[in-house]
Amino acid sequence: MDRNQITKWFKDPAKMANKYSLHAIYFCTGCGIIEVPPVITSRWDAERFGVIPVATPRQANLFLITGYVSVKTLRAIIRTYEQMYEPKFTVGFGSCPVNGGMYWDSYNTIKHLDKYIPIDGWIAGCMPRPEAIFVAVTHLWTLIDKGMANGYIRYRENYEAYRRNQEMALGKLEWPPLYAPDGNREEDTRE
Amino acid sequence: MQIVEIILSPLLALVVGVFFLGLARKVMARIHWRYGPPLIQPVIDMIRLFYQKSVSHGRMFDVGIILSLAGSIVVILFLPFGWICPLRNSGGLLVILYVMLIAPLGIALSGGQGANPNISIGISRKLILSLGYEVPFVLVLLAVMTHYKTISIVEVVSAQQSARWSVLSLALFLPGLSYFLVLPAMLGIRPFDMASAAQEISSGPMVEYGGKYLALAMIEHAFVLFINIALFVNLFLGGAVNPATFFLKMLAVFLLGLFVHAAFPRFRVEQAVKYLWKWPTLLAFVGLIIALVTRS
Repeated sequence: MDRNQITKWFKDPAKMANKYSLHAIYFCTGCGIIEVPPVITSRWDAERFGVIPVATPRQANLFLITGYVSVKTLRAIIRTYEQMYEPKFTVGFGSCPVNGGMYWDSYNTIKHLDKYIPIDGWIAGCMPRPEAIFVAVTHLWTLIDKGMANGYIRYRENYEAYRRNQEMALGKLEWPPLYAPDGNREEDTRE
Repeated sequence: MQIVEIILSPLLALVVGVFFLGLARKVMARIHWRYGPPLIQPVIDMIRLFYQKSVSHGRMFDVGIILSLAGSIVVILFLPFGWICPLRNSGGLLVILYVMLIAPLGIALSGGQGANPNISIGISRKLILSLGYEVPFVLVLLAVMTHYKTISIVEVVSAQQSARWSVLSLALFLPGLSYFLVLPAMLGIRPFDMASAAQEISSGPMVEYGGKYLALAMIEHAFVLFINIALFVNLFLGGAVNPATFFLKMLAVFLLGLFVHAAFPRFRVEQAVKYLWKWPTLLAFVGLIIALVTRS
């Protein structure tokens, strides 16, 4: 941490703490699990940047979705995302969540993940190198600084649209809406 | 003066405990040949968690975590930290023994409201583990109380000031060793971290904690680190008059525990109880008998 950041800390501690304490939950759907362990262990050591893996979505504020998203895993992804507490950031890792990648004509994968949950940043490639996660993290820092990593706000504001897309892909959802439809979007009352 | 000490000593415990949390991550990183996070990373995490939104799972979910924090703070008031000991004239080892149970109980009550199966598994493991380490711990405290013929922790410390560290005396060497062997179990570090195993049961009782609840749980963990190590230093390493010396002794004990943490894998819970009821209990029991025979 630089000494010239101390004034920033006093100005907006929430933003700075969000930047430097990214507790990540990895959703390794298909591929990508090979790239994540070197990043969090000795070879690339993500903990220098404050990025550590946590075991539950309640403790996390960075959601990393690696590899293709099948229709079945989309259900789990949405539930995991909705269990995370705000502010939360999402990063899609690999080509498949971006536009389907090599599964562009598959019958049971989701082509565009950001139709279903908001994504703050993409890492393109098949597969990206582990260093790309650090590029994504530093990029995410810039976005948080500028207030552009606002996926969770977009999710709250456009929740009906997201929910409609989710129901189109998955059929009737068995869990109640995260935000009440009548414009009362203040509190997540669901347990 | 006493009021100032009552306010000061939990704050001091918080600073020391959070420093230990940060140091643990840094030292673990260096043992892994990594660079590691900055030393103040737990503080950054806590600031982030306090600013994050969180959802309560019910009244007990809130009360339990506060209860466990309160229990820890009460224990800290009885513990001498150098010359800082707010309640030096009351309490003693028996009170500490009782009140130390409130902290895990509060976490258990709080987690019970969370209604997550991982929490139930984690709490049952934690309670079985505490069943394991309480037996040698009580024997160790009995040996200390028998040897010094007092239940006051301040008098134990002052007796060691005039003579020598009790871990170096004949009667209390074995109980000291036994306490050091159960210390990882009391701190919840490896090889006894099965209650909060991230890989098996998604960090156990911490599963439903997020936001400010997780921050309070981190503070509680820092307090638990402080209490158990400070008790060990007070009872066996002679305490200290000077808080700086006391802190250095705590640091040495903590680093030793950390190396154990870094080197060992995790026990299963029944293996842990088998171990705790065998070697530490045996050592503490023999030590108690020696203390009884040599008390004159």
